[in-house]
Amino acid sequence: MIDYSRYTLDNGLRVLVHEDRSTPLVAMNILYYAGSRDEEPGLTGLAHLFEHLMFGGTARIPDFDRHLLLAGGENNAFTNTDITDYYVTLPAENIETVFWLESDRMNLLDFSQRNLDIQKKVIIEEFNQRYLNQPYGDAMLLLRPLVYKIHPYRWPTIGMDISHIMNADQEKVREFFFSHYTPNNSILTLTGNITCGRGISLSEKWFGKIEKRAVKSKTFPSEPVQTEARVLTVEREVPADALYMAWHTGPRTSDDFYTLDLLTDILSGGESGRLYTKLVRQKKLFSEINAYVTSDIDPGLIILYGKLMKDVDIRHAEESVYEVIDTLKHSCSPRREMEKVRNRYESSNVFTNTNILNKAMNLAFFELIGNPGLINNEVDIYKKIDSMMVTEAARKYLDPSNCSTLYYKSAGKRQK
Amino acid sequence: MSIVFPPKPPVLPVDPGRTQQPAMVKLNNGIPVYMIEAGTEDVMRIDFTFDAGQAQEYLPLLASTTNTMLTEGSLHYSSSELNKILDFHGAFYNLYAEKDRAGFTIFFINRYIEKILELAGEIAIQPLFHEAELKALMKKRLQLYLVNREKVNNLAMEHFFESIFGNHHPYGRQIVPEDFENMNPPLLKDFHAANYTPGKLAIIISGKIHMRTLDLLNRHFGENFASDVYIEESLNFLKESKNRRNHIKKPGAVQTAVRIGCPTINKCHPDYPGLKILNVILGGYFNSRLMKNIREDKGLTYGVHSMVSSLILSGFNIISTEVSKKSTQKAVDEIYFEIERLQNEPVEKEELEIVRNYMLGEMVRMFDGPFALAESFRSVWEFGLDTSYYDRLIKKIRTITPDEITTLAGTYYNIENLHEIKAG
Repeated sequence: MIDYSRYTLDNGLRVLVHEDRSTPLVAMNILYYAGSRDEEPGLTGLAHLFEHLMFGGTARIPDFDRHLLLAGGENNAFTNTDITDYYVTLPAENIETVFWLESDRMNLLDFSQRNLDIQKKVIIEEFNQRYLNQPYGDAMLLLRPLVYKIHPYRWPTIGMDISHIMNADQEKVREFFFSHYTPNNSILTLTGNITCGRGISLSEKWFGKIEKRAVKSKTFPSEPVQTEARVLTVEREVPADALYMAWHTGPRTSDDFYTLDLLTDILSGGESGRLYTKLVRQKKLFSEINAYVTSDIDPGLIILYGKLMKDVDIRHAEESVYEVIDTLKHSCSPRREMEKVRNRYESSNVFTNTNILNKAMNLAFFELIGNPGLINNEVDIYKKIDSMMVTEAARKYLDPSNCSTLYYKSAGKRQK
Repeated sequence: MSIVFPPKPPVLPVDPGRTQQPAMVKLNNGIPVYMIEAGTEDVMRIDFTFDAGQAQEYLPLLASTTNTMLTEGSLHYSSSELNKILDFHGAFYNLYAEKDRAGFTIFFINRYIEKILELAGEIAIQPLFHEAELKALMKKRLQLYLVNREKVNNLAMEHFFESIFGNHHPYGRQIVPEDFENMNPPLLKDFHAANYTPGKLAIIISGKIHMRTLDLLNRHFGENFASDVYIEESLNFLKESKNRRNHIKKPGAVQTAVRIGCPTINKCHPDYPGLKILNVILGGYFNSRLMKNIREDKGLTYGVHSMVSSLILSGFNIISTEVSKKSTQKAVDEIYFEIERLQNEPVEKEELEIVRNYMLGEMVRMFDGPFALAESFRSVWEFGLDTSYYDRLIKKIRTITPDEITTLAGTYYNIENLHEIKAG
């Protein structure tokens, strides 16, 4: 059981504190409700660029990292489609240093031209390193615009085109800050060796005076229902063909999310997952295969991807995937298999929560989706899912007409 | 918009405390079991670690293939049964075959301990090495290898190891596609019989340790598991390449991967704690000199890092980065520039203070929670050291002087000794 206190400051900042005396550390997580979804189509990648700029200092405290390191801290951040998340762990006795640093940069960032210019160059190298210079590195960049036609999920967090990053100027960056980096658009969580009382009073002391600011409204075009299969074929210098498939689903907050999480675990969880057993072990069509459901705020996806063994025809591989899926649609999953996936969820949940940083991140995310109690209650939701629900979800979502498929082919290997 | 914030809070000295040596008991046949009791959840992590790493192999892939085949079928269970049962109980495992050690770590919820330890015994002691499973596995691994060879990072890393350790030792030897055809069940059985023995095994347990743990370990590992004595004569030897520079061409690569470093001392050497600190200053954390110069000042890369690592027979230091083709030389020059600066100019007091506090904070994180404690313990134990190594490191972090750092940089980063490998 993870006990926590929840408190909202007058400026709208939500604070959640969970005390764990078994560690000498405290983790602080600040979630800003701004991700690549909040970008303009002509200026994508801005949320992620902004994450880099957040470490460039402020007029009052120009060197964020130096002070954090002096306090024995370690920090990092990530950006996804919906949020930007900053986190720190440090010895509990120095927690106030992080309050000092984080409240300062939430209040007002320094937008130096030099910092902006350098970070643009760093991001271009990040783009090269992570997406262009890796085998299969651009697959998700290709898949997104195939799956989403109008919703902002159609571009990746790194940006639709690197020229967008090059064109970001001071004014755009400043505007993004003022319309998203506000106390009323963020969630602060503290976990570890700190009492709830102290966590809340320090939050009040350091963040309480920051002004509430108007947040840019979140009205995004909803993605029209997909009615026919979409296919894209590309050729790349890679040693083996790969298959990527994506089906539209509902948002993270829908009940189906949990059913689909178990469904994808039945398909590909562990070495005993059905796809692995049938298509890797038995039929030897794939060298690896995986499926998962995304945790997106707006309607998300089931993503399935696999690398093919040599000389396997990609259409045959795809048909074999559907054979496995069809079995799931036509016959209920045995009781023992349902018990297995529920046990796997329970176990991974327990292990996740042995770490204060995970607890801080999860609490923040659950607060964001409106129910921090889920950090304790999700286990019960999973327990109620039965095999009928899985079968129904498979029928509802895993239809070819709802699917976008990317054939990522090895160049030089022509289709038969 | 101007608001008055409270004054800067004071920073208190970070104290990682004293490290504790885990309790050790022996199973009936002498296998040592180290126990680290910690944590709040009813879960355990058990590391079954054997002296069965690549250093023991006389053919490439032998150690890693033997290790991967452990879960591919045993005396009483087929591979799919093993995996089904482990998955059913929500257990997670990692198989590993490192340069020195090999084995597996298993994470599970305590109430399933009985079944999990029975299977752990099967996996470690009774694997069968079926031909069909082996063939399928080698096909998959060959494919993975071919994908990895496309990554400039991997290419540069493999050539780096070959350059610093030579191709007559598993530490440096590169894998070629034909190696995947050489594996067969008798070879693996032989390697398993010689290396997965009680005499080469240690068990490291952490978490909320279940009261039946030792009983069950004795049942599955302490009885009917004895060592045959193998006389080993290794023909492997370490030899640095004379040619210290190499550029592996990869047409079409968007970036070039750079690796610069050399063989060095390992954890057992008295200079090692100082070398660790020097490494942090150079490129071991986000605020390092290399990061500040090459990323934060010049924007040439997404990341540049340096590392000092210990192996049983040697150690090595390595600086790694990925940069665009046109900036490669510039980045390499800056790496040497930063090394020379550390050799010639004493580190400023302020910078050293940051490094001291950051490293002490890292030590707190390394001892936080049962799993981190187990990792930290294993990484000294395998060198025949105990956790007093960390006390020496903490003392060195607090007391090292700028002059010591300059001397260490001169001794251990002698530019003439460095190998420079590029791929891209």
